[in-house]
Amino acid sequence: MSGILCAIRGGPSSRPTIATSIKLAQETGEIIYFLYVVNLDFLTHSSSSKTNHISQELHDMGEFILLSAQEQASEAGTQAEGVIREGRVVEEIIAYCEDQSPLYVILGQPEEEGEDNLLSLERLQTFADRIKKACQAQVIFSSEKDISQEED
Amino acid sequence: MAKTRLAGTILFILALAIFLFSMENVSAADVNNGFSYIFGKIQDAQLQPVEGVEVSLVSGVNSNLETLSSALTQADGSYAIKVPLLVPKQARLNFSRHHFQQKIVSIPPEDLTQLQLGNSVSFPLVTLEREITPAFWIAALIFVIVLVLIATGFLHNTLAAFAGASVLLAISYLGSPFFPDLYIFNFPQAITYIDWNVIFLIMGMMMVIAVVENTGIFHWLSYHAYRISGGKMIILLPVLMLITGISSAFLDNVTTMLLMTPITVQIALALNISPLILLIPEVFASNVIGVSTLIGTPTNILIGSFGNITFNDFLTNLTPGVFLAFLGLVIYSWLTYRKELTEEKPGSPLLLKKLEERGKITNPENLKKAGWIGVGMMLLFIFGEKVDLLPSVTALIGASALLIWIRPDIDEMIGAVDWTTLVFFMSLFIVVGAIQEVGLISAIATMIGELIGLNLILAMIVVTWFSAILSMVIANIPFTAAMLPVIAYLTLIIPGAESKVLFYCLSIGAAMGGNGSLIGASANMITAGIAERAGYKITYKYFMKKGFPALVITVSLALLWLFIRF
Repeated sequence: MSGILCAIRGGPSSRPTIATSIKLAQETGEIIYFLYVVNLDFLTHSSSSKTNHISQELHDMGEFILLSAQEQASEAGTQAEGVIREGRVVEEIIAYCEDQSPLYVILGQPEEEGEDNLLSLERLQTFADRIKKACQAQVIFSSEKDISQEED
Repeated sequence: MAKTRLAGTILFILALAIFLFSMENVSAADVNNGFSYIFGKIQDAQLQPVEGVEVSLVSGVNSNLETLSSALTQADGSYAIKVPLLVPKQARLNFSRHHFQQKIVSIPPEDLTQLQLGNSVSFPLVTLEREITPAFWIAALIFVIVLVLIATGFLHNTLAAFAGASVLLAISYLGSPFFPDLYIFNFPQAITYIDWNVIFLIMGMMMVIAVVENTGIFHWLSYHAYRISGGKMIILLPVLMLITGISSAFLDNVTTMLLMTPITVQIALALNISPLILLIPEVFASNVIGVSTLIGTPTNILIGSFGNITFNDFLTNLTPGVFLAFLGLVIYSWLTYRKELTEEKPGSPLLLKKLEERGKITNPENLKKAGWIGVGMMLLFIFGEKVDLLPSVTALIGASALLIWIRPDIDEMIGAVDWTTLVFFMSLFIVVGAIQEVGLISAIATMIGELIGLNLILAMIVVTWFSAILSMVIANIPFTAAMLPVIAYLTLIIPGAESKVLFYCLSIGAAMGGNGSLIGASANMITAGIAERAGYKITYKYFMKKGFPALVITVSLALLWLFIRF
């Protein structure tokens, strides 16, 4: 078991997750594995014939998002790699945990009800339990508050 | 893959059925010089010819009519009814058709005399009035349900339209034997509403697009847009908008945004800015410039085919107005995002290098061939009208030539055709055909006609804004399909509208109206879907806040052009 798994999708909501994983990597010396999941569910209502081509475009976009996160990790003096998988986000995180057995898994935490995030607060704990069951990893929640407190 | 096969099978069955029924329906004019004929034409209250009216020569009293001879009216409303050698003095013509009031008209004595002498006569034009039956309300209800299912996303667009068409036919076939007033139309009638010019044009263009999209042209263009702008956002934004818009004028908007959005996100990440600053104006540009050509949007394809408006007509009558609207859109986008556009942020050298690596043509050979074929197709679109070459034929010629020249994996190319969309269009034509058949469209046309009167300026304003506002909330393809007969009626009755200006108003409203809300156009939804996967959510509120002013500006400018032009 080694490494820190940090699933991201880019954008402002991933900033706290990336920052938490970098901080943890600095403390533990572990490698960060940034994970981006290509999810094509939004194509179900149109352009079904273009799925293959769009999948490639989204892989490319994901690679950019990962490179951006890796760049931040590198600037902070930590080691980071990017991983792209395709499918449903939750299932792919679990599958990665089963395959690679990371030591830590960083999850984004919603600040309040209805905020845009991968999971609601209620489901987040259930998800964390599933991760622990899959790979015994320690699950750490990150939030915007942590970052702002740190900046203060 | 399974979905593609299923859709392909449905398409094949439909095509086979059409072939068989068209064989059955071929009725050559019964030319028999030994008889005389009564010729005539039938129209409805909207002055449109009525096809399929049973015209019978009858004698006797109303309660006991004896049919001496009968004929059906053709697509142009004309009929030729064979008259027996001995014509009774009280002979009359009986006109009957589902969804119209029956009409019995006496034959004038002088015509009767001519017929008895063995001469053919021309009967005066007959206008039939509509009859509102339960079928009217059922067809209307099913149309509304299909619209709601599409708008809410409760069912896939294609499934909603396909189910709607099936229910309409099921009611006609299974309900009418017990309750004759439930009859809407039969299958042969239903398929006459499918516009095959539209279906084959879309199919041909899909094959061409499939080749082009795999050449890396979008990556190349986008990277060079960045290079030309020197990273200056104030220049980069309009250049990207122009690339997106011009692509949308020749490819469909959804494909353009599917390809442009991931690339734009990459550019934005490399420049360390929010992708929404570029994406929102891009999708607006796609919806605006898309209407500049006949093939730019499905709504234009529908309008062009129905209104017999050529590629050149769109270029000369609409394109300048579209570019005027685009200019307004660029200024609006600059003002809206002025703060973000003027902010100096350092880009990421690593990501910019990656952007450069990707900004290459991946298949120059195919791009070159597609370019030549594209030029050929443009020439055929432009000059083909001189020999009445339909746009669908040009698209099929172009697609075939490209496939023969490139010789790709044919399964892959056939798979690139979005059969789901084609089945959607065919089913939708049937659903819209049903409301046409039962007279709902006529009722709407009459109502709008009475509301507008004979004022062309008022008609232009009403059609444009009515289409734009409605396209914000309902899918613009079914809306446009339903509006076409209404516009045809208005074109016929309003002096000055014969220039087909109202069709251009519909084109502008239906397409640019899509900018008013996130659900207004499929391209908006696709852009939002991809942006969300990059961590940038486009909410309904955000889109409307930026989009509604864009709608008002672009529609006003395009309408202004139409006022100047016509």
